[in-house]
Amino acid sequence: MTLQHHFPALIIVIFLICAFIMPLLFRWRSTLCAPALLLVHLLALAMAVALLVRLYAGGPFYYHLGNWAPPWGIELKIDFLRVYMVLILVGLGLWIFVYALKDLAHELKREVTGWYYALYALLIGSMSGMALTNDMFNLFVFMEICGIASCAIISIKESRECLEASFKYLILSAMGTGCYLMAIAMIYMVTGQLNFQLIREALPAAAGLYPNNLLVATALIIVAFGTKAALFPLHVWLPDAHASAPSPSSAVLSGLVIKIYAFSLFNILFFVFPASFRQAVPINEIVLWLATLGILFGSIFAMVQEDLKKMLAYSSIAQIGYVFMGIGLNQPTALLGGFYHILNHALMKGMLFMVAGVIIQATGRRRVKDLNGIGHVLPLVMIAFTVGGFSMIGIPGTGGLISKWYLAEGALLANRLFFVIVIVLSSLLNAVYYLPIIINAFLNPYEGREPVKPVSRLMVGAITAGMIAVIFFGVYPKPVIVFLKAALAAVIGM
Amino acid sequence: MNEAAASAVPVFAFLFPILMTPVIMFAGRRSGRLRNALALATTVVTFLAVISLYPRIIGGEVIQFTFFEILPELHISFRVDLLSFCLAALSAFIWVLCTIYSIDYMAREHAGSRYYPVLIFTLGACLGIFMAGDFFTLFIFFELMSLIAYILVIHEETPAALKAGYKYLIMTIIGGLALFFGIIITFELGGTVSLSGGPLVQETSLLAFLAFISFLIGFGMKAGIFPLHVWLPDAHPVAPSPASALLSGIMLKTGAYGLLRVIFHVFSVELVKSGGWDKIMGVIAVITILLGSAVALTQDDIKRRLAYSSIGQMGYILLGMSILNENTLIGDIFHIFTHAMIKSTLFLAAGAIIWKTGKRLISEMPGIGRQMPFTLGCFSLAALAMIGIPPLNGFLSKWTLGLGALEAGMPFYVLILLVSSLLNALYYLPIIVPAFFGGLESDHEHGFDIKEATPRMLVPVAILALGTLIFGLLPSNIPFDLSRLTASYLLRGGPF
Repeated sequence: MTLQHHFPALIIVIFLICAFIMPLLFRWRSTLCAPALLLVHLLALAMAVALLVRLYAGGPFYYHLGNWAPPWGIELKIDFLRVYMVLILVGLGLWIFVYALKDLAHELKREVTGWYYALYALLIGSMSGMALTNDMFNLFVFMEICGIASCAIISIKESRECLEASFKYLILSAMGTGCYLMAIAMIYMVTGQLNFQLIREALPAAAGLYPNNLLVATALIIVAFGTKAALFPLHVWLPDAHASAPSPSSAVLSGLVIKIYAFSLFNILFFVFPASFRQAVPINEIVLWLATLGILFGSIFAMVQEDLKKMLAYSSIAQIGYVFMGIGLNQPTALLGGFYHILNHALMKGMLFMVAGVIIQATGRRRVKDLNGIGHVLPLVMIAFTVGGFSMIGIPGTGGLISKWYLAEGALLANRLFFVIVIVLSSLLNAVYYLPIIINAFLNPYEGREPVKPVSRLMVGAITAGMIAVIFFGVYPKPVIVFLKAALAAVIGM
Repeated sequence: MNEAAASAVPVFAFLFPILMTPVIMFAGRRSGRLRNALALATTVVTFLAVISLYPRIIGGEVIQFTFFEILPELHISFRVDLLSFCLAALSAFIWVLCTIYSIDYMAREHAGSRYYPVLIFTLGACLGIFMAGDFFTLFIFFELMSLIAYILVIHEETPAALKAGYKYLIMTIIGGLALFFGIIITFELGGTVSLSGGPLVQETSLLAFLAFISFLIGFGMKAGIFPLHVWLPDAHPVAPSPASALLSGIMLKTGAYGLLRVIFHVFSVELVKSGGWDKIMGVIAVITILLGSAVALTQDDIKRRLAYSSIGQMGYILLGMSILNENTLIGDIFHIFTHAMIKSTLFLAAGAIIWKTGKRLISEMPGIGRQMPFTLGCFSLAALAMIGIPPLNGFLSKWTLGLGALEAGMPFYVLILLVSSLLNALYYLPIIVPAFFGGLESDHEHGFDIKEATPRMLVPVAILALGTLIFGLLPSNIPFDLSRLTASYLLRGGPF
């Protein structure tokens, strides 16, 4: 067996190994840490691309960890959608990490930087694992790693509100994983399987014998992933956690972490439960309505926030609603929109949190009210904010419009006109809280005597790259859309 | 001429101003004169490019060009037919004049290096709207133009301007979303949003009706029809006068243009009539006409009065669309020309008054006609055209509209036209008459001297005012012929 054969596992493993050695490396040669983690990201990215090439050559394939075939061993499944997720995770992980390199110096004590790198590697690795695994229990393990790493990456700042927020997150996250563990137990009880495919095959028979077991398990799964992905009304932990964390952490948590849970829910709903089961129990309907409430209330809460990062966090609740709406509509075009929005939102929210980080670092301001005239002192950064805000609203030329287009088209194809109206309405709500910030930033004079601190070029560069990407995916979305269309057709067969 | 070169001209026409925007921006950092010259040159070149299409368009050619596929089944494409040409030529023409006018007018204002690039960019976006070959492209340029025009609205950055601008922005976003909604339903019903095929929607249904309503909201928002006009009387007056002229003269027309496209390309005349949607437009049009004129009566700020007058005039165009026979369509398209010229004249003349004397309130203006006889002369000519006094072009468009209404057996609409003309007279004459004959006593105090604005401001006003006269006086002038051709092209798919 060649090394290439092990790429699916290696993507995850190199991050985990990197996480282990990072604190040691930091003691020994602290300057080597950042290049090492960058290298790991690049390696993982290269491997993900190699997987993609292999997918194009031979179609989806499985990888058995340690050569133990299921039901005994852990199975990883590699298909287009999963590789799409891994590419987003690692690619944007790299992008945010580049920003973090300079930002951390201002937000963290120097001693803990090594720990931060370790947590970051752990986070990206566990998320890649969640994207690739085809095993319920393995998914649980990665969820736990990811959950704990997320908490730690918030509390590492050691300020009072960070500790409070991460404690809240820890409790709710533990509740989520607990629910999921019980759900696995219940499914295991009735089917005796943990592998996605094997459960799927055993479920129809089990459903006849133990319908209640499965109903409870389904409910638990929705609660578990709903909590983790901040599906309304299980979002209560998110605003505090994402707002108080160091800015790169916020970018990762809002941009990537909540998406991976939504993706996992999608995997379970579509690949563990047979289609007949989804028709019998209105899972999609529940997800759809919760997503709708999230979209509307997330935006409404965002309007009244005074803290910039809190506003962005509430906006994330609304935006993750789009992804869930794609899943809930149960329609290929809407799913396409949802998946495209995973990429889009990761980019724009990551960028917006970076912008918030730069503003806080340069001026020490984080209240929305105090941002008047900030466009005069940080022009490039605020232009990026404008592009991000426009993308949230769905102005043509930004990625946000394209995801909304497909979501709306999917809703129409599914004959659910109401949800098109929800999408349109939520765009308006987004406009109501993003536009005033942009207007005030550019058209009001900057008040403040304290000088604006210089900001590292690398950070501004990362933000600029994000801005270009948001525009690129809005102006030339065709390759990704064609890719996703083929992927969804292959994966779901719809 | 081969295919590629043939389609290159319209693409050049809208792309050139957009590409020149950064050039003008950077030129502005070095020298104001260079910046102004570049801006003017850009508009002139663009105008010439558009005009050069005339022989081909008049020969019945429809120039089409597909840029690239933005999404599967959605293209960025361009298509120039008679209607596109009419509006594109008109806008490029007025833009040239407004740019000339801006040179002196804006010399006193701040942030010229922001104003000119934005002015030129909106020209490109505007032409992009008129030349779009499908609704998706149209939507993109529509949003671009609307958002960029925000910078023109708030140019003076006074609290009033910012407030009006915010209102404008929110309404624009609402309009854009309504368009998005309409376009996506059209896409769903028709499978494409291209303008080149036949009607996209074949039968009435709830979805089709919703699409129609959202188009009406989206484009009507821009056109300032009741009850979506609320942003207009705030936003148009606060902008610098040349920008107001463009906002009222041209950018309102993008809404009318969009509605025409919707009626003829998304739906069809029969469908609109069978669904009874023409009646909806008719009712809205009547309310818009009466409300615009009635509120204009109460305004003392001259630019606000003009803005309300624009609302009333857009009502005429909507009225023509609701009757939908050949004569009303001719009237519609001719009124687009007419109103663009008249309203630009009025705003530019008002701008000259404000620029020279600082007076914005009509109550302060008695006697001003003796100070600025030339400006007020042009203003009066345009105002009389707006009222619809015979040899002027406003009369011709109203006459054609009225003729169409009578043909359709709707004398009620003729009555509305008459009442509105009366109202127009009621709010324009009290500006003109005192301007020339009022305020005599103050002459004794201040003496009598002529204080006109600079020639660079007067010439554009004069050209436009002359246009109102020429295009009304000659029975077969180019705009009227174009309107006739376009109307029969739209109704019958080709006059040729």
